[in-house]
Parts: sequence; structure tokens; C-alpha cells
Amino acid sequence: MTRFPVPIALLIWIATSVIPGNALAQRTDTRPDVGISEHKVQDFLLSNARVVLEPGIVIENANIWIEDGKITQVGTDLPPRNGLRRIDMSGKTIYPGLIDLGLEADLPEFSSNRGTPHWNPEITPQRSVANALENIPNIAALRRSGITSALIAPKEGIVKGTSALVMTADAPLAANLLRSDVAMHMRLTVSRNRGPGNYPSSPMGAVALARQTFLDTQWFDAANRAYLASSNLPKPESDSALWAIQEHISSGKLFVFDTLNEQYALRADSFAKEFGLKAVLKGSGQEYQLLDAIAKTGRTIILPVNFPKPPNVSSVDAALDTELEELMHWEIAPENPARLDRAGVPFVLTSSGLADPSELIAQVRKAISRGLDPIKALDALTSKPAELIGLADQIGKIRPGYWANLIVADGDLWNEKSKIEEVWVRGIRPTPAYKNDQNIDGTWDISIVDVKSPSETTKPKLQQFQISIKESARKISGSILLPSAGPEPDPKEDSKKESTPEIKLNGLRWSELTLSAKVPAKDLIVKETDANGSDSNTSGVALLSLAWISSAKNPPMLIGTLHLPDGTQWALSGKPSVNSNSNAPDQPSKDTKSNDDSKNGSEKGVSSKTIASSMRYPFAAFGLEMIPDQPETLIIQNTTLWTCGPSGILRDADMIVRKGKIEAIGIDLPVPPGALVVDGTKFEISPGLIDCHSHMATDSGVNEGTQAVTAEVRIGDFINAEDITIYRQLAGGLTSANILHGSANPIGGQNQVIKLRWGRPYEELKFHGAPAGIKFALGENVKQSNWTDTNRTRYPQSRMGVEQLFRDRFNAAKDYESTWKKWSESPSGPPPRRDLELDAIAEILRGQRWIHCHSYRQDEILALIRVCDEYGVKIGSLQHILEGYKVAEAIAKHGATASSFSDWWAYKFEVYDAIPHNGALMHQQGIVVSFNSDDAELGRHMNHEAAKAVKYGGVDPHSALQFVTLNPAKQLRIDHQVGSLEVGKDADFVLWSGSPLSVRSRCEQTWIDGRKYFDRQVDSQLRSRDSQIHRRLVQKVLESGESTSDKSSLADDPSRLWPNHDEYCHHHHDDHHDHHDHD
Amino acid sequence: MNAFNLEFDFNRLATKLLVSVSSCIVLASSLWASDQIPGPPQKKPILIQNAILHTVSNGTLVNHSLLIKDGKIAEIAPAIPAAEDYELIDAQGKHVYPGLFDSLSYLGLVEIDSVNASVDNTEVGPLNPNVRANTAFNPDSEAIPVARANGVLFSLISPTGGLVSGRSAVMQLDGWTWEDMTIKNDATMTIQWPRLGNSQARSRGARGQRETESSQSDNSDRSGPFQELVHETLAYAKAKVADPKRPLDMRLEALIPVVEAKTPVMIVANSAKQIQTAVAFCQQHGLKMILFGGADAIHCSELLKQANIPVVISAVYRLPTRRDAAYDSMYALPAQLQEQGIPFSIASDGRFGASGVRNLPYHAAVACGFGLDPEAALRSITLSPAEIYGVADRVGSLQSGKDASIFIANGDILETATQVELAWVQGRKVDLGSRHTDLYQKYKTKYDRLNSK
Repeated sequence: MTRFPVPIALLIWIATSVIPGNALAQRTDTRPDVGISEHKVQDFLLSNARVVLEPGIVIENANIWIEDGKITQVGTDLPPRNGLRRIDMSGKTIYPGLIDLGLEADLPEFSSNRGTPHWNPEITPQRSVANALENIPNIAALRRSGITSALIAPKEGIVKGTSALVMTADAPLAANLLRSDVAMHMRLTVSRNRGPGNYPSSPMGAVALARQTFLDTQWFDAANRAYLASSNLPKPESDSALWAIQEHISSGKLFVFDTLNEQYALRADSFAKEFGLKAVLKGSGQEYQLLDAIAKTGRTIILPVNFPKPPNVSSVDAALDTELEELMHWEIAPENPARLDRAGVPFVLTSSGLADPSELIAQVRKAISRGLDPIKALDALTSKPAELIGLADQIGKIRPGYWANLIVADGDLWNEKSKIEEVWVRGIRPTPAYKNDQNIDGTWDISIVDVKSPSETTKPKLQQFQISIKESARKISGSILLPSAGPEPDPKEDSKKESTPEIKLNGLRWSELTLSAKVPAKDLIVKETDANGSDSNTSGVALLSLAWISSAKNPPMLIGTLHLPDGTQWALSGKPSVNSNSNAPDQPSKDTKSNDDSKNGSEKGVSSKTIASSMRYPFAAFGLEMIPDQPETLIIQNTTLWTCGPSGILRDADMIVRKGKIEAIGIDLPVPPGALVVDGTKFEISPGLIDCHSHMATDSGVNEGTQAVTAEVRIGDFINAEDITIYRQLAGGLTSANILHGSANPIGGQNQVIKLRWGRPYEELKFHGAPAGIKFALGENVKQSNWTDTNRTRYPQSRMGVEQLFRDRFNAAKDYESTWKKWSESPSGPPPRRDLELDAIAEILRGQRWIHCHSYRQDEILALIRVCDEYGVKIGSLQHILEGYKVAEAIAKHGATASSFSDWWAYKFEVYDAIPHNGALMHQQGIVVSFNSDDAELGRHMNHEAAKAVKYGGVDPHSALQFVTLNPAKQLRIDHQVGSLEVGKDADFVLWSGSPLSVRSRCEQTWIDGRKYFDRQVDSQLRSRDSQIHRRLVQKVLESGESTSDKSSLADDPSRLWPNHDEYCHHHHDDHHDHHDHD
Repeated sequence: MNAFNLEFDFNRLATKLLVSVSSCIVLASSLWASDQIPGPPQKKPILIQNAILHTVSNGTLVNHSLLIKDGKIAEIAPAIPAAEDYELIDAQGKHVYPGLFDSLSYLGLVEIDSVNASVDNTEVGPLNPNVRANTAFNPDSEAIPVARANGVLFSLISPTGGLVSGRSAVMQLDGWTWEDMTIKNDATMTIQWPRLGNSQARSRGARGQRETESSQSDNSDRSGPFQELVHETLAYAKAKVADPKRPLDMRLEALIPVVEAKTPVMIVANSAKQIQTAVAFCQQHGLKMILFGGADAIHCSELLKQANIPVVISAVYRLPTRRDAAYDSMYALPAQLQEQGIPFSIASDGRFGASGVRNLPYHAAVACGFGLDPEAALRSITLSPAEIYGVADRVGSLQSGKDASIFIANGDILETATQVELAWVQGRKVDLGSRHTDLYQKYKTKYDRLNSK
């Protein structure tokens, strides 16, 4: 702790701003007294302490007055004061008690059928910890750990309810409760495997529900006001949940969002922005991985310090299977607080996530050793959290008028050797520990003063010996030193008397002024043969027990017994050895401390080096250290351009790219000044490939498969920029993809088109300018054909019902539109309720949202076309569309496009008539046809799939390549920007080692926006970079000697929990023996 | 069978059964019979002239002739004089190949993957050494002509699932019955090696976690049940010699040729640890081993070389098995094995039942972009599997004396656009039509009519 000079003025202020103490305190409760009332002295004067008033402000030899649970005075030259119980705190350092804002409690199950709850049981904002909590969980442990105030939040739910700020005194909740309804707590996800019956069953469904709920709150408020003003208007149904949210917002209170990882932090920030919420984030410990973006949010983070244990790398296989991310996270995680601090991210610290709150101090020390400013650390546990929840005038500092929440330590709290001795909460003195603090360090001369033996056969080897005890930190060790001849000296033991043989004392305990230990018997006794000729038993363990006897007059003694296995007892008596130098009540040598400090300093030097070597995103293997360079001007010369535009295939051509756009294409173009020149002789170049049906880069489960209609759900809420599939598909020449909701319901969620900008945060992956779209689905998946019978209850269960459901929702959206129209033409009363599901469907009807419909059989395709024709809707793309070849003329006439598999068939009944000529046949009927992947593996070689259009049905090669370039761009209505090599379009292109249609060609480079996001050569550098770091970290784990964890620190990461494929598509169901890697 | 305390997911199986029974029984009888008629026995010699012969065993011979007599390749020479009764084929500019050989598929065993009534590659329980895949092979499966149309004329078909899945067979893909079409019975005994340690478990979240825990709670060898089975078989074989009339144990009976190293075990294993333990076990018991899957084979190359174990790469179009692995680790595996001198073949990936077999040549071709030379690629889907499964005396290359199970293509079979034009199985001409070409023709007709209006 750095000592700041305390201004004299402040001292004076402290000394004079006296709150008059009450000799006769007023009662603060209404309970009747039971039995005989107590009138102990409950007011205290702590004297002669080193007091840390607040982070960075320390006064020496100070006194603190505590009256009625509060601090009434603190300072160095206080006037005399009677009536306080004086406690000498010489040598102690007193800190303000710690405040932990990250705690949670299980509340009794919320009754969702009493009162007027929200229809969805995940929305329980009216729950209040102050009202529902029975006891503060773990309260004694919190207190012992120095945590004197805690914000307790409800554990379960999406909108969970409000938290309470409590103190942790040994007192009823009513006395400890400082403030109720402090913050509203939210979690924008749900637990995995909630089953198909419970909406929402996916993180994106959770966000959609939360979003609808906050909109409903606005509507509810407006409608209620209107109704109060005029009872002729409809009365909104009572809803205590919406009411609670409205109250919370209008009183300007705080929202706390749980964030499961660094990407969730950004998502929570967006949500809070959307509704203008005053929000803080409960962190994950992974914030350093997206530091800049998180710093930009300006949000305060409630930061855990549950740094992971190292992974088990103790065998070749285990090391091979340990991901680099896990190793790097183990190494860097303790630096997270320091990095956040340096980046200017405000944070408070929490014990949340630790197995026991008592680990908090040690973990914070670890963070300090890795660069966190100790004053900042204390600030993040005292003043900062107090400010955050608006209690800065009551807790978090040692000042008159503040609650007497104090930590008494035997030194600097952040020093490894210091211990918390007492924790005071609300001025309540902890029951004094009276811990034995007698130091028995040193050497004792022990004599055997008596031997009681039942057999007379065991004789002591010696009459006198010495016991040497070493006490350091919390560890005590000792040994028996034998006079001379005896067992071989153990060379490892570090003994003060060089040649003295010694016997280690096992299981040494020193408590309650008693020392006990175990000693191998053979080392103490002489083996003899008795009259019957049998040997005395010398095996077994002798038990030693010695009491420490001392008084003011006499020097200390050790008196006790040694019990041998055969029942022999020796009476022992000992006194401090004359040669010993440290039996006297000791003076712990202070110089070790400065050594430690210098050690910390050198560690900091090392850690800053690791920072430099590991900055990358994603924070895992193949993460990029910076965004790939965008050359101002680039010319690729003498190459073959598969333009996929009107120019067809150009040989010996040049292409000029400026600022990420294609500027010119032609033969023998002049080299622009300053241009980067690339020789394209060895390559053939195509536009970046585009996949119109993908589920990569999601960490939200792909399906909100509960309700038949989930149009309110948005894939874009959960783009996972860290999915390695992005990189793998980039390496196959893919540059854009349509990320679709799954096929579990007739109307699924909204899609998100992305560019594969590997290494960028998820917002930067989004394809701005791509029009909105939505997933529809038909056939086996939506009618749940391949589900177990017990789950087959949802409407629809037949293709007949599917068709009717579309009509029903289109009708509902039409009604919704006209309600709004009517209101906006003559706005009387409150605006109608916004319904995000119908909003999305109304957009479809208005032509502002494109349908991408999973479809197989000709009957269902035709039925959908007819419904859409009737409602004036043009379908964006028919997905899979494996029987499209049977009704191509109808598809063409309607104007839908077709995004098909190249040659998949027979994985389920409805695709038994799929043929690989499908694409060609539809193409020949004038339909815009693409081939899609719907699969992490297939998406790596879309060009190979395109070649199948040449093979099956004879499409010319250039048109075939358009199946995976220009045509999917057209289907997504982004062809003005991407899909072909044409002047003015984005410079998204691929350098192939040969024809892009040859299976034997290889993707050498992939460019997006004129930046080279993939390059075979860079890839090999990344491999060697990562394997070097992996090797280094495995060694570091092995050398650290830390206990390892068998559970991966990545195991709970959402991107590992949620599938990123469409679980309802049968081609993914297979778990063939050789393909465990595919599911 | 108490000794075989295996994790076997009966629930999942039961669910699967329930789901499909209702919807699918009706279909089974009527739909699945391909319209293609097996070729008639060869009546006269066929002489292919001026062709590019990809012999596999003897390089590529340009402008050569190949004579087929009595279902066998009779002669290969620069020029073979034509006799009067010969059927002559001028193959100028065309390529002749031995029939492609898929190292493992479910052809004939799986028709529609999600329709259980049409799936016959998995028997119930962990130990099924006695079952034989070819007895359930449906010669009329629609998937067979589809595979044939791209030159695939052979496949090993194998049971899967459990621990000991059963006996595989090598099939040729034209004929009237499974007996006609079987080239080799009991080609391998297929074993699914238990997953060991925490391979892939750490990164795979909750699901993987359970596996780690279960393997920790039990320190015994995961391969224990198979070891015990081998000991039981040895004891049984001995007892049988002593008392030939003792009752038959069909399971152990089937394993006798395995412990005598007459039938190879094809062990499905992917992680380094699985491969190491499987090889060690087979060496210890003198079993003849083929490694199938082999994702980590390159991590064990020395071991595989020392023990002389061939690798069947289950697929080249395959994702890396670890998040951190190189993106091309599966693409590059064939070239790496080639460089190490480890014999290998390539299979077509059983991910979609039997529907993806026609893409076998592309699994080999994609490896060419990552260091495998094209001749080795071709070998890995012709002669290499024939050698691994012990049928190279009959098939796998263009060599006189071998079966005339060959095809003619208009280009390099490793390129997608190439079309197979003619094919024979033992000299019998193969119908290269399929359900797919039939439907194509049907709907082409529709549009021809519409557009001619």
C-alpha cells in the first residue's frame, strides 16, 4: 500500500466533524424483549491502529470511535472519551470492509399462477430478494473473508428480479438490509436443454422475449395512463411484472446484466442501449479478449477473479487435446483486471465464481502481482461499489457517519503474509478468536523424566533430545534432533546444526497451546530381545503431545508425553535450548517483505512480455493480431479472372483494387502509382464464394424450436465471431454467408448475412446493406416427423396444417398493420401494442423482408407459392428445394430463387427423389440457382459443389461458378455489392492454384474488402506461432506445480454448449462411428 | 456376457425405433427396387482400342488396347489384333480405369438414413461378431446404380455400432443377388474401439465432460471387454478341439478366424490414444489389424510403420478433429501417410448412409491439392483397398488375369466434370442409368414439352 501524505486539513476535519455519540442508544427494532435484557458496552474505541480511511489515504496511530454501529470519530489526536470499550489495535491495519456486488441467491420457486404474473415464467421482475430471501447464503464465510456488504441478486430467470444490499453482520436480515430493490438483474440467455415445450429454449429466444417485454412495458405504461385519463379506453390487463419494470426504469435505478463471455458483454450493452437502461455488466473474466470494444461501451463491470486452474497436460494425449485458448486463458486471466484498468474500463471486484469467498483476497493479490494497482484493487472493493449503488455516503470508507464495517489485518492486506484477524460489521465486534499466537519457533531441550512401560522391553534410545520447530506463514514443521549417533541424517533437511541426525515430526499440529505430532517408533527405542527370545516390537508410530506452559514470571516450558505403540509412555519435559536464538516471542523479520516486493516487480516485467505475445482475436489458435492490411491500391497482373459477371472468363487480365473496391478490370492496365503489384500468373481468380445457407458463427443454438412461429427471434443477436468454422471456410474461399435460423418451425427467426471478416468483433462481421430476411420451413422438420411421439403435439403435424398456419399468420399481420394504420391516421388513446413477431411478418407482406424457405417436396413448394401469390408476397429464396426440378416453371413464374444442395439425397424420406441435376434443370428454366452448404464441412469447398452443375445437366463452367458467387448474391439481394468481379463492387476475391472448378485446385488467398484475410503462407506462420506458444504454456503448466483441472475452462462457454448446426435437419443427426467430429 | 459392461445407449436406440416404425413400414415393400437390369454374361470378347489405360499397377499407358475375354482382362498391349467376333470399342482420347473401390460404405444396407425400416447396418447390443453384412445387402437399392454411374464398382460393406460390429464383405456392384455380388465374405471383423481418455472431451462442453468423468471413475481399460472376448475365444477354441461336440457359441465361433489372424480386424479409431492402444493390443494378441478412420494416424506414424498396419482414411472431406488443428489436416493426411510409406486407402464417408458413395473420387482428388500425387490418389481408391482387403488378385488394377470390372470415362476421373461412359463388371455391361437419370429424363421431358408449346 502506497502511503499518501494526508493533508493536515483533512485530519482536522476528521477530528472535528463529530457526530455526538449516544450513551443511550435508541432502539431500531420493534420486537419485544425476551428474557433478561443485555446492556453490554457495545461501543468501542479502537486505538493506535494504522487506518486506511479509503484507498490511498492512510493515517498511522489513529483511533476510531464506534457508537451504535457507526463510526463517530476517526483521527490521531482525539479528545478523551468515556464509555467506550478500548481495544488496543497496535500493529494492526484497519481497512473499510469490502463490498461485493456480484452475489446471487436461490429464491423460493416463484408462483406463476398467483396474482398477476407475466405469461412467461422467465420474466419475474417483481421478485425482490429483500422480500423473498430467507437467509443471506454463506454469510459467515463472507464476513470472515472481509466482505461486509453484499448485493444479493436472484439466480434464475431472464428478467430475474431486484437485488438487495445487505450487510453481513451476525444479525437478522431485517437488521442487515441496507437497501432493497437496488438493481434489476437480467440474463440474456437460458440454460441448455429446456426442451421443446418451454419458450424460449435458446439465447436468441431469450433476447427476443426480453426485447418484447421491454416494449410491452412501454405500451403498458402508456395504455394505463390513457385508461386512467379516460375509462372509455380499453383497460390493459394487470401485469405485476411489467409494472415492476416500469417502476424500476422510472425511478432511474440500475440494471445488471450477467455476461457469460466477452461477446455477451457487448450484446448486453446493445440491449441496454436499445432501451436506454442505466446498466452495468456482471463480467466473465474474459473481457481482455475484446478489450477495446468493451472499453468503448463505457459500462462498469462487476468483475470476477475466479482465475482458472491450469488444464491437465500431464500426458502427450492430454496436451494434444488441450486447446491453445485454454492455456492462454490460464496464463492471462489474472491480468484481466489490470488490463481493464489500463484500458480505462471502470470495474468493481466480486468473489462470484469462487468456490469459497475466502479465496477473494488471494485472487486479488494474484491480480495485483500481475499488474493491478493495489489502490485500484481496494477501490474496486470499497469506494467504487459503494458509489455504483448510491451508498457512497454510508459504506466503503472509514469516516464519521459511515457504518462501522471494518477489516482488521495484521499488515498490508495485499501482502501474501498478512492475515485478516477480525471483521467488524455494523460495529459488532466479532467474537474474539483468541487464537493461540504464542510462537514456539526454535529449539527445545527435552528430557525424558519418567518411563511407564507395561512390558519393560522397550527402552529409550536416549534420555535427552531436542525438538526443533519452524513456523512460517501458516505452516509449521518440526523434527527431533538426536544427540549424535543414530539414523542417517537426511541430507535434504535444512538443519541449523549441520551434522545432527533428525527425525521429522509428522502431522504436526500447534493449536490451543498444545503441540502434537507423530514419530516413527523405531527411531526412538532400542530393539531388545526378551526372555522368551522374541524381539520387542519396534514398528509403529509414536504419538507426541506437549503443552506450552508459561507465566509472567517463568520462562516457557513444554510438558507432555510420548505414547509408544506398545503402550509405553514417556513423560517429557522441555525448555528452550540455550543455543537457540529464537524462542523469545519473536520479531518477524521484516526484510522478507521487501524481497517479495522486488519479486513482484520482476514478475510484472515478465507479464508485460506475455501481453505483447498474445494479443489477438479471437483469443485462441489462429486468432489475428491485427486487422489485415488494406493496401491503398493493388493491381493483380496477368491472371485468369472468372468474373462471374458479363465479361465471363478473362485470360491474361489485370484487376485494380482501390480502398477495398474493384476499380478496374482489363488487359494490360497501367500500374497505378504506388500500387502493390501482385503477379497473378500462377493463379486463377474468382469472386469470393457466397453460401446462401449456413449456421456457422452462431452461439445460440440455431433453433428457437419451441413455438411454431418465432419471427421475433434474430440470429443477428448472437453472431459468434470466434467460431473456427469462419476461418476454415475462409480457407476454402468463402467470403459471405447467409446465417439462417434452423428449420424447427414453419416461421423461424430472422437471418443475418455476414462477411467472413475473421478476427473482427461480431458487429463488424455483419453485412451492412443486406436486406432483412427470415427463415420459413416446410415438411418433415416442422411437422416433427422425426421426433419422438410424445413430442408430436404442436400444430401443425401435417403439410396441410403448415399451409394453413402461413395463412393464419399472414392474416394476423394484416390485421396488425391496419390497427396501426388506423391509429396513426387518428391517434386517439395509446398506440397499439408493438408485437415483434407480427412486425416481422408485416415486413414480409410489405416486401421489406425476404423469405428464405426450407422446402423439399413439389407439393409443399407449390402450396407455399400459391399462398404467397395470394398475399402478394414474393419469396426470396427456396432453400434446399430438392424437388424444385419438378415444378421449376411455377417457381420461375413466381420469381423465387432456388438455393439447393448440389447432390445430397436419401438422408430422409422427403429427399428420396432428390437428384443432382436439380440445379441444372432449374437453371435451364430461368431460375436463379445457387448451391448452399448448410454444413461446416461442405462450406469449405463450395467451388467443388459448383462443378457438379457441369457434371449433372451440363451447365457451362462459368455459369456453374455463378451458382456459388453471383447467384447467391442475387438471392440475398447483395449483388450490387458482391458476387462478381466488376468495377465498383467490393474487392472480395479468391486466388486459386488452378481452375476454381477443379477439386485438385487449392485456395491460396482470400480477400475481403481489399484485405487479405486468408493466405496459405500466413496460415503456416500462424500454425508455427501457435504451436510454439502451446509448447511454452504446456511447459509452464508442468513447471508451475499448480493443481490442474480436469474440467476445461472452456466447457461452459456458450459457443461450446449450443450446437451450430440445424439439429432438426436429419443429415446432421448421424453419429457415425467415424464422424464424432461432425455433430 | 456379464463381462461386457459397456456403455450402450439403449434409450437412444429405442427412441429411434419408435420414431420410425409408424411412418415407414408401408414403404419398405414397394418403393425400393431399382429399374436397372444386371448385365448379361459376356458372350464375346471386347476389345478396347486406342485408349489411355490407367493401369494403377503399371502406370498410365497411352494409346493402348485392352482385351476382355470371359469376364477377365485377357491382354493389355499397344495394339491387339481384332478377331472377327470381337466387339470393338474405339476409345480414342478416352480413359480406362479399374472399377473404383470404396473402402467402406453402407451400400445395400441403408436406403434412407432417417427411415429405420430401411436401415440394416446396426444390430442390437455391443457384441455382434457373428453378423454378416452381405446377408442384408439389398441388390435393388437405388443407391447402387447411383454409385456405379460414377465408376464405383466395388465396396466393402460393413456393420457398424456396438463394440464388435460384425463381419464385412467385399461386394461388386452389379448382379441379381447378394451372393452373385459378394467377392469376399468375412473380409474384416469390424471393431469400434472405445473412446479413451479425454480426447476431444475437454473442448466439447458438457457432453464431453461426462465422458471424462466416467473414464475417471473407472480405472480399468476401456478396451477390457474386447480383451476379455479374445481370451474367451482362445479358451473356446481350445475347448472345442478337446470336445468337438460341445455346443456352438456363434459369437465366439465367428471370432476364431480373428484370433487365428485369418480374418483381419478393422478397428475404427481416430484419436492418437485409441490408435496406440488398438495397435498395442492387436500386436499383443497377434491379430491382423486394419486401422479405419485414422484422423490422428500421422501422430502414430512410426508405430503404424513398425507394426505394418494399413490405414483406411474414412473421408478426406472431413473437419479437423480438434479446434486448433490446421484447417487442412484431413486434406493433407493422405500425402503425409504416403510420405511416411504407410499403406492407405480412402473411403467415401458414411455420413449420409449410402448416398454419397459416388463422390469417392473427389475425396481422393482433394488430397491432390494438398500434396498427394494423382497416381497415388487413384491407387487409394482402386488397388490399395483391394490389397488391404485381400482381393488384389482379382480386382483393383488393369492387369491381365484380373476381373474385367472396369470403366471408360471421357476424362480424368478425379475431375468432377468427367463422365463415365461405359462400365463392365466381370465383363458384364453395366447399366449406368439410375433413379436420378430416370427422374432427370422424366422432368426434362416435362420442360421439353412445356417449352415446345
